[in-house]
Amino acid sequence: MTFEWIKIPQSLLTLFIVLNYGLLLTALVQKIAARAGRRHGIPIWQNYVDLLKNYGLRTNITHGVMYYLGPVFRLSGGVGLLLFVPTIYGSEMFSNLSFAGDLILALYFIFFGTLGMALGAGESGHPHAAIGVSRGLSQVTAAELPLALAVFSVALQYHTLSVTDIVAAQQGGVAHWTLVTNPLAVVAGMFSFLGSMMRSPFDVVLAPQEIPIGPPTEYHSSYLALMQTNRAIFPVAKMVIYMNLFFGGASSWAEFCLKIFLIYMVSALVGVVFPRFRVEQSIRWFLTWAVPVGVAAILLV
Amino acid sequence: MVSPLFILAIGLGAAFGVGLLDARSRGLAFAITLAGLAAMSAIGAEWLWAFVVDGVQPIMVMTAGAPPPFAINLRMGPAEAALVAIICLTGLLSAIQMREALLRLGRRAMAVLSIAVMALSGIVLTRDVFNLFVFFELVVIATGGLVLLSDDPRATAAGFKYLVVSQVASMLMLIGIVFVYHAGGSLNVDDLIGSPAVAAGGAAGLAFLLLMIALVLETKPFPANGWALDVYEAAHPGFGAIFSAASASAALYAVDKVVGVGGAAFLPMLTAIGLVTFVGANLLALSQTVDRRLLGYSSVAQVGLVLAVIGLRDLLGERYLMVAGGLLVAHAVAKAGLFWLSELVAGRDFAAWAALRRRPILIFAFATFVAMLAGLPPFPGFYAKWELTHALMAQGRPELVAAILVGALFEAGYLFRWFGRALKATPPEGVSDLPVSKVGVVVLTALGGWVLGEVWGAASPYGDVLGATPLLVALAFLALEPLSARIKNTLAIVVLVAAFASGWPHFDPLQLIFAAIVLLGGAVIFVASYAFADGRRTGFYPSAMLMYAGLAMLIVAKDTFGFFAAWEVLTIGSYFLILRGKQSEPHALSYVVFSLGGAFAILAGFALAAETTALFPIAGLKQVAAPFAPWVFVLLAVGFMTKTASIGLHIWLPGAHAEAETDVSPMVSGILLKAGLFGLFMLLMQMGRQSLYGVDLTLVLLWIGAASALLGNLMAVFQEDAKRLLAYSSIGQMGYAVFGLALMNHLGWLMALMFVINHYIYKSSLFLSVGGVYKRTGTREMYRMGGLITLMPLTFFAVLVGIVAMSGVPPLSGFGGRWIFYNAILDTPARLPMVVIFLSGPIAFLYLFRLIHTIFLGQLKDEHRRIREAPIWLIAPQMLYVAFLIGFALFPGLALRKVDAFISRFIPEHALNWDGLTITSAYGYWNPVSIMIVIVVIFVTLLAWLVFLNRRAQMVKQFNIVFAAERPYRPETTHFAWNFFAPYRRALGPLTEPYFERFWQAQTDALHGWAGFARRFYTGDGQVYAFQVVGFVVIVCWAAMGMTP
Repeated sequence: MTFEWIKIPQSLLTLFIVLNYGLLLTALVQKIAARAGRRHGIPIWQNYVDLLKNYGLRTNITHGVMYYLGPVFRLSGGVGLLLFVPTIYGSEMFSNLSFAGDLILALYFIFFGTLGMALGAGESGHPHAAIGVSRGLSQVTAAELPLALAVFSVALQYHTLSVTDIVAAQQGGVAHWTLVTNPLAVVAGMFSFLGSMMRSPFDVVLAPQEIPIGPPTEYHSSYLALMQTNRAIFPVAKMVIYMNLFFGGASSWAEFCLKIFLIYMVSALVGVVFPRFRVEQSIRWFLTWAVPVGVAAILLV
Repeated sequence: MVSPLFILAIGLGAAFGVGLLDARSRGLAFAITLAGLAAMSAIGAEWLWAFVVDGVQPIMVMTAGAPPPFAINLRMGPAEAALVAIICLTGLLSAIQMREALLRLGRRAMAVLSIAVMALSGIVLTRDVFNLFVFFELVVIATGGLVLLSDDPRATAAGFKYLVVSQVASMLMLIGIVFVYHAGGSLNVDDLIGSPAVAAGGAAGLAFLLLMIALVLETKPFPANGWALDVYEAAHPGFGAIFSAASASAALYAVDKVVGVGGAAFLPMLTAIGLVTFVGANLLALSQTVDRRLLGYSSVAQVGLVLAVIGLRDLLGERYLMVAGGLLVAHAVAKAGLFWLSELVAGRDFAAWAALRRRPILIFAFATFVAMLAGLPPFPGFYAKWELTHALMAQGRPELVAAILVGALFEAGYLFRWFGRALKATPPEGVSDLPVSKVGVVVLTALGGWVLGEVWGAASPYGDVLGATPLLVALAFLALEPLSARIKNTLAIVVLVAAFASGWPHFDPLQLIFAAIVLLGGAVIFVASYAFADGRRTGFYPSAMLMYAGLAMLIVAKDTFGFFAAWEVLTIGSYFLILRGKQSEPHALSYVVFSLGGAFAILAGFALAAETTALFPIAGLKQVAAPFAPWVFVLLAVGFMTKTASIGLHIWLPGAHAEAETDVSPMVSGILLKAGLFGLFMLLMQMGRQSLYGVDLTLVLLWIGAASALLGNLMAVFQEDAKRLLAYSSIGQMGYAVFGLALMNHLGWLMALMFVINHYIYKSSLFLSVGGVYKRTGTREMYRMGGLITLMPLTFFAVLVGIVAMSGVPPLSGFGGRWIFYNAILDTPARLPMVVIFLSGPIAFLYLFRLIHTIFLGQLKDEHRRIREAPIWLIAPQMLYVAFLIGFALFPGLALRKVDAFISRFIPEHALNWDGLTITSAYGYWNPVSIMIVIVVIFVTLLAWLVFLNRRAQMVKQFNIVFAAERPYRPETTHFAWNFFAPYRRALGPLTEPYFERFWQAQTDALHGWAGFARRFYTGDGQVYAFQVVGFVVIVCWAAMGMTP
């Protein structure tokens, strides 16, 4: 196999676009949510300010090797996830590094950052961090299940695990989207999506009031900056998968921005309406409501 | 050749001879008795040699110068010679064991002993029914006398009860003989056999029935045997040996000799009584806690089994002698040995047997006897069990097979409970010297057992287990025991590597993978054993090598016999290994009972498959047709799944793996479990899909695999004990592998193989890591640890790589398994089990994170501040595993490509396409090297950036955390660790209840409850016993009237 070195600047360009879009998008959604709560909300450039401030801060503190590596794991997870999936359909330029593996690679790579972050938080020795990880892992096991079922259903439907092929199969109008052709899988997948976005009602992991910010408690300055960078990239990277699987993918950056925004708004909308679940409640919710839909999706596909 | 008459003459002569001596010359009297018994034994042995080696024909010895029926005649044939040799040798060795008692009681006791042995020999030799009666009377009188040899005050009562019951039997016998003589006109057995009058039934039939019942009563049938049990318990153990080994053999032979007179109609009666006795006595034995009474129950049971076999002699045909002989010989040698051993033990409870541990050779003898009784290879009982089940299955008698195997399982249960207790209980205080002569007798008997094993092996048409090189090598380690552990460890490594090297060219790819894991993998684990190689480490190496020998034999087994023998060998070896753990006694017992239960299922399956073929090749499983095929499949699958600890059959695993020694846990987890997978592989490759009552059995397997994956993972989440966590995780991992196999498609099998390799590596590595932590901290409770990362960095690194690989996160090798898994399930029509397996996947993250976090991260405890990294010998193999995990992640093709091609021979569809570094399936693609490079580049770049930003970071002190501007009180209260996933437990509620443990506990309780209840019928009252005997006679008569003409 010969590697085309042009892939590297191309991937970096994808990364650059997604980072900026992610920074703006998260701020925008936060603002919308604030407005829904009759608050004014943050300025749209607030994330840039925070990021620059934290990258600028200097610290002499570390709690150990894993603590140090935690944010690196986290951001590598976000960047890797983004680059393992083609961003723009039909564009060789923005197919990124998807030659390395298919959908399964992306799905399992999601855990790379989670695991590393959890280990880093663990070494900080702060009980709140450990409590947050315990909650997060418990919740994610239940939340992942409907997604796994949805992915399985979609893969059965299109007879492929290649993201590009799945998007290709959905071309030719909204009627070809998985949303229309396999709505149960989409519903199951979107239920799972709600669980993975750290928004209410599934945000007990960070739980600001009970365990101040959960796993990242001990992180500050450049560590936190790395994680904040990831917070801009990772949700978008995840939503790219949802977009590709369920909503016909995107053949241009404009379509990309619109679809990602709308997908994000699903969780924002639910988040402003529903109060927070405790962990066992959310696990039961996923098992009672989301999993049966996923099961129906794989049986009826 | 010396005439067999001399056996009787010498016995009588010795008895009268000592009677003529002065009462005070006890030493001389004892010498004469021994000489007499030795001479009798020698005559028996000489005849045996002549029959077996020289091929001499059986002879009839006339007495009083006239042929029968005018005079009594004796027969000497191979069976008679063997039995007489056993009886006389037992008498001789028992006399040595009873030396003090005999010398104390004087010449009369010695005379009675000689008479007893002579009379027992007479029972075997004579062909005259009335003479038979006379010898029985002599035995009764002698027995009554010998019971009194014991110091036990209960012996007098036991002897009296014995006499009462014996008189009932004698009366029946005499009445029977009188009327049989009346009808048949002869007292000679051979004349009577041809006599139509007796076979015709009617009054003569009834008379014969009485005779038979009387003879059967001499074999102490269940439940009319309370008197015999009291004798066993109270008598001197030396006499117990005679009563069990010699008396029973003689009585059985008498039954065998006479039953021919009545014809085939009486045979079912014997089988029924024998089986009821076998199962009933073994069941009741379950609740026994006194060693000699337990031996009594076991004797009764074994004799019952032989009685059943006598009833089946027409059915067994020419194999009858091997079967009945094998069972009888195994019983006689083992039981005599155990009785003699019991004399070396002061107390009567099982724990007192811990005294034997002062002499390891006695433990060897004990193990030999237990294995002989349990019918394990390479002893005669094993061959007999194999032939018996095959013959019964071939004749369409599965219900008999079931009864025999259930009884045998009960028996194994109490034998191994006893053995485990002896090995694990605290030895009693006060060291008393064990007399050399008594130890010598026991050891000699044990060695005799091995010789008999070889005799039966050589005569077996299936193969000689003792002739297998791996087993011989393992046994050679017994001889090496005096060497230091370091030398033995090195030898063990060399042997395993050499075995792999020599087998390499002959393995097919599947065998190659399993052989690499067993032999090379075993060698790597042995490296860790250097950390424990102080002193001799007695018992470890023979056990471990026995397990590896079994595994090696299993992989190359060509026929079902070889496969089954290997299976049993590896089971015994691993049982001894597991038993070595400090707290492992109940878990080892549970393991061996489940394993033997599984082995019996396999045995029944093979027997059902073989039908009438003597030597059945494994490839022949392909040809097994309906309606047997699905049953064969079920039996074999259940057997194999006891080893893979599939859900429902898994309860032995957590304790067994967790309580095992540090270097044993990876052996029994990383390697031993693979035996079950190998079996399932073999089964599915040969038999493919089978359906029973319209249910696709592979679908059932699929569900079992999925449920095992889910529940194994789930239970692992809630463990506080690190090794238990890993053990439960093994159940889950094996569930995945079973699931993969049951998918019955190309990628499913490939995934199962990937799990075989991966699970060996990361589970062995993790068990060694946790073992190292245990060695340093002295605890396995994770919440007692914390913050060990800085003190044990290498161990932490190994665990980190292990859990990343296990969780399936790219870029390590676990991901390959997941990728193949996803591709495999796309090919299967069964979709619902997927839901379960999907649910179990992420749960693995929970326990893996808990493992690494609770031990290595969080708050360091005060008592651990000074601990060091684990010993280098534990670290070295872990680093090897880490290297291999990374290597296998990059180049899975090194191991999988050939296997992929091999699987294509069975399932050609949807093989993987190995195109350079990219692996493609029908659905997706995967390029391990690219993945690794991309991830490493991103990671290193970001890390470099962080280092650039944050280059001056320094470690701060432990409690320097954001804690509301306060300092935490103690690490214990700050380390969030205990019941880490409490919300998860709350959410899943009933799924986390131990239903299967409760189920099996209820079964065990019920059995023990029955046993405890039923044994109350043995009140110890002589009248009650007599009444029970009469009741037994009435019931048998009543039942037999319906069966006989």
